[in-house]
Amino acid sequence: MSERRTALFPRPRLLMTESREEFDQVRNNLEREIQPRGIIEQMYVQDMAYIDWEIRRLRRCKDTTISVAFRAGLERVLKRLLWRPGETQFSSNKEIEDLALRWFTDPKAKKEVSELLGKFQLDESAIEAEAIRESSHFLERLDKMLRSLEARRDRALALGIEYRVNLAHQLRESAERMTQEPTMLRLETNAGKKSA
Amino acid sequence: MSIAKQAAANRRNARRSSGPRSSVGKQRVSHNARRHGLSIRITADRTFGEQIEQLAREIAGGTQNELRLECARAVAAAELDLARVRQAKVALIERVMATGALDLADSEVPRQVLQSRTLAREVQAQEPAMPSAEPSRSAEAIRRALPALVKFDRYEQSARARRDRAVRQLGIVEALSIST
Repeated sequence: MSERRTALFPRPRLLMTESREEFDQVRNNLEREIQPRGIIEQMYVQDMAYIDWEIRRLRRCKDTTISVAFRAGLERVLKRLLWRPGETQFSSNKEIEDLALRWFTDPKAKKEVSELLGKFQLDESAIEAEAIRESSHFLERLDKMLRSLEARRDRALALGIEYRVNLAHQLRESAERMTQEPTMLRLETNAGKKSA
Repeated sequence: MSIAKQAAANRRNARRSSGPRSSVGKQRVSHNARRHGLSIRITADRTFGEQIEQLAREIAGGTQNELRLECARAVAAAELDLARVRQAKVALIERVMATGALDLADSEVPRQVLQSRTLAREVQAQEPAMPSAEPSRSAEAIRRALPALVKFDRYEQSARARRDRAVRQLGIVEALSIST
């Protein structure tokens, strides 16, 4: 994209925690793929780059939300499994919370949790399911926004292509007309001579 | 009920629901219509006039064809409108990252709760502290800002639809000018 044209479009504002270089990289990659011709196509490429950036932002948010919910999910699963009369070897919530915290860093704690889950024929996916269940309302709304953004990105691409195809079609028709016009003129002149 | 009685009842009811009476309340509602200003078209804002014209001339490709210029102006205005909504979305997330909350008026908290200062304070206090590290902080900010982001999304869709329509019209006008 020429510098002048870039300056005409407003520079997209990013979150202060996001990298401008990475955004430019996304846009440059799209430009390399699509090879926009003209300012309208440039506009759609810029649009697609920004939508793509928003999709990445929301996906990052989704992953982080699940990760954050993981510890709380693990605590809940442990409480549910252990709070049965006669089966618990934990004396308080504090111990469960401690085990859940250690699970992230301590292989022993991880093994302990795995064995415990195994007793109930469960595995770590039970923790993940609990984490997702807890944030399901938010994740559902996030997914809806993601689907909408993906549809917009596809539409921007389709409209950019439509604009290019229409313009190319018009230019081809116009070029054909221009090449045919002298022949028609010659034919008309020859016909006039013969009739005379 | 007689007309006089009805008029008196109307006056009484109006006194009960005629908006805030304190100066703080009046100050607050005076900004209701322009909390984010996104419902106002960009063309109504004179500061954007020059920018729209410059972009429109670039889109129209230096033509003097007034119809083509008019379509290009519509494309430029909608494109700048779209950029404005996106900026507002980012500003909103950053505000939540910085302060940990949306304005209560933007949230999904029921109006009755907002009207009670004690309850409103409680609602605000219920939100846990924002995480200090990334990416958890941004994720939490997006979670808290989501109801407002969904609202902003409608403005974005509207600006995008206007821009795409204008691009189609520009395409038709360009096709006509090529064929003539």
